Amino acid sequence: MKQAPAVLFEILRGAWITARHFTVNMVFHTLRLFRIRTRRAGAVTIQYPEVKKPIPPRHRSLHRLMKRSGTDRPRCVACMLCATVCPSECIVVEAAEDPDPDVQKVPSRFIIDLSRCCFCGFCVEACPEDALRMDTGRIDLAAYDRGDLIYDLERLLR
Amino acid sequence: MVSLVINGQRISAAPGTTILEAAREAGIEIPHLCYHPAFPPVGTCRLCAVEIEGLPKLEPACSTNVKEGMVVRTESPRVVEARRNVLELLLAEHAMDCPICDKAGECRLQDTYQAYSLAPGVYAEDKTRRGKKIALGGGLLLDRERCVLCTRCVRFLESVTKTSELGVFERGDRSEIGCVEGRLVDNNYSGCLAEICPVGAITDSDFRFKTRAWFLEARETICPLCGRGCAVFLESHPGFPRVPGTAKAYRVRSRRDERVNGHWICNVGRYGYGYLEKSRCRELAGPLAKTLNLKAATDVVAPLAAELRALKYKGRQTRVAVVLSDWLTNEELFLAGAVFRRDLEIGRCHLVGPRDGSPDGMLLTAERSPNRAGAKALGFNTEETTLEALARDTDLLIVFGPFLQDRFRPADIASAWAGVKTKVLFTPRDEGLGAAFDLVVPTVWPAEKDGSFTNCQGLIRSFSPALAPPPSAVPEWRLLTALGRAVGLNPSFYIPFRSAGDVRRAMP
Repeated sequence: MKQAPAVLFEILRGAWITARHFTVNMVFHTLRLFRIRTRRAGAVTIQYPEVKKPIPPRHRSLHRLMKRSGTDRPRCVACMLCATVCPSECIVVEAAEDPDPDVQKVPSRFIIDLSRCCFCGFCVEACPEDALRMDTGRIDLAAYDRGDLIYDLERLLR
Repeated sequence: MVSLVINGQRISAAPGTTILEAAREAGIEIPHLCYHPAFPPVGTCRLCAVEIEGLPKLEPACSTNVKEGMVVRTESPRVVEARRNVLELLLAEHAMDCPICDKAGECRLQDTYQAYSLAPGVYAEDKTRRGKKIALGGGLLLDRERCVLCTRCVRFLESVTKTSELGVFERGDRSEIGCVEGRLVDNNYSGCLAEICPVGAITDSDFRFKTRAWFLEARETICPLCGRGCAVFLESHPGFPRVPGTAKAYRVRSRRDERVNGHWICNVGRYGYGYLEKSRCRELAGPLAKTLNLKAATDVVAPLAAELRALKYKGRQTRVAVVLSDWLTNEELFLAGAVFRRDLEIGRCHLVGPRDGSPDGMLLTAERSPNRAGAKALGFNTEETTLEALARDTDLLIVFGPFLQDRFRPADIASAWAGVKTKVLFTPRDEGLGAAFDLVVPTVWPAEKDGSFTNCQGLIRSFSPALAPPPSAVPEWRLLTALGRAVGLNPSFYIPFRSAGDVRRAMP
């Protein structure tokens, strides 16, 4: 009971902050309505997912594997540096032989477990072939099944 | 002894040693590619050039002998600058495909570049294209773009195997390694070439693209595949934490042991590591395991001891036969001798190992088991035995090791031993042999336990586990200690044995 006045004070303070934001935004919106230029615009709620905020170019989103120019094959040479540097140990790479002597090494298996990935981007930094990028802009990665969060070679090449 | 100063450190070396070796003894590492302690120096790579007071030019440390009062500097600005220039020239024609090179991570050129240069290439011209994937024979692949012409491979084949299949052809910047008269490398030591290549020019198709060198964990062990017992590193992958089944042995590398194998191991030992995984016996099996409701390998000890004790009290220990193998360590053979021969007074203790192969005249011996000398020294009967002799008047048959199958067909074993009441097999491998037994207990390979082997030269060398065994497998020495204690005829003798080292201390 001793704390009651303090709690009441905090509730009132919260109500005051909400009321202030409402009023300030209301004033800005009304002024804009009458074509009066103001220092800033009133806050607007973005209607996600119908409306999406533009993603800055350096934002780290879903990974993708690059393709060798002119082909459908991955540019990755399975050097496993991404798997080495990955702090959450979510990348597994297995290498295979490529008949082309200029390529020699290709991944037969490339798995990123997004349920473990922390999106630090170290794998992209480590890649010596620029074969892995995180620039797809896809951030809606939620899935109903954990298995759907495990991205294999085929899904990463898409 | 000659005394000299290297980097301000006063050291003494035997006359006739080179600066590089003397520095190495003192713990000063001088970078080098072509020098190898097993061969006379050639001085082709020029990376080991050092500054010697009083001499106008830098001298190669690998081929300059120490002299009294010499003052050597291995890290002075002049030396480091020279090293950087040498690296620039070596890398001018080097392929730089480290991402796909199996040597990356253990490459001398990569290490030296990282330590001394880290400079970008300065040449605008394209690198010369050379053969990238040339089969040399023996499963070796040559990449001429990566080769730095250190000629270690050529010298190895000249001086060690004396087969001289490889040579340097052409001259100047067109020099390249190739097979002499189109003859492919074909000897029992070809695997060493990939190991001594300081860069990734010669790679091994056995290890090719399997994993990266930095993932591997090298542990010291002894090769069990012949009587020589070469010192080796067994390199295994500890496994990706979330991918089950990725922990396994990937390759075997030689370990220097001047008394036994020098720097080399043969291809049988290098490529033979597949036995570790092949038909691995992982779980307790056999009809008796179900009847007696046995779960773990150690559960076998109590009923087996009870059976042995009962036979002994009835004076029927002659109705027990034991087959041991010369893949068991000295400690295990000693324990087996103590339990079966001394305590239980069982007369029939035979030794069955794998079939002999042909020796190669260098390291590989005819016997294909690591401890025949040790078994002989402990007084075991190494003569051949027959299935009938083992089955005659036998109620209980205890077999260690999977090697009966190397000498007899499983069907023959099953029919010859049909009259034997109880048959127990302790084995790390089961290729159908287990079907003839009432109880199959999983045990471990020598690489997974500790102990010691006596090699064909009579040297006793101990080793510790280099690999993690399957969770249910138990080393034989542990089972034998427990059995000796449970038999109860001489229990105080077995009480102190908590490790193979304890057994070793009790041995004569």
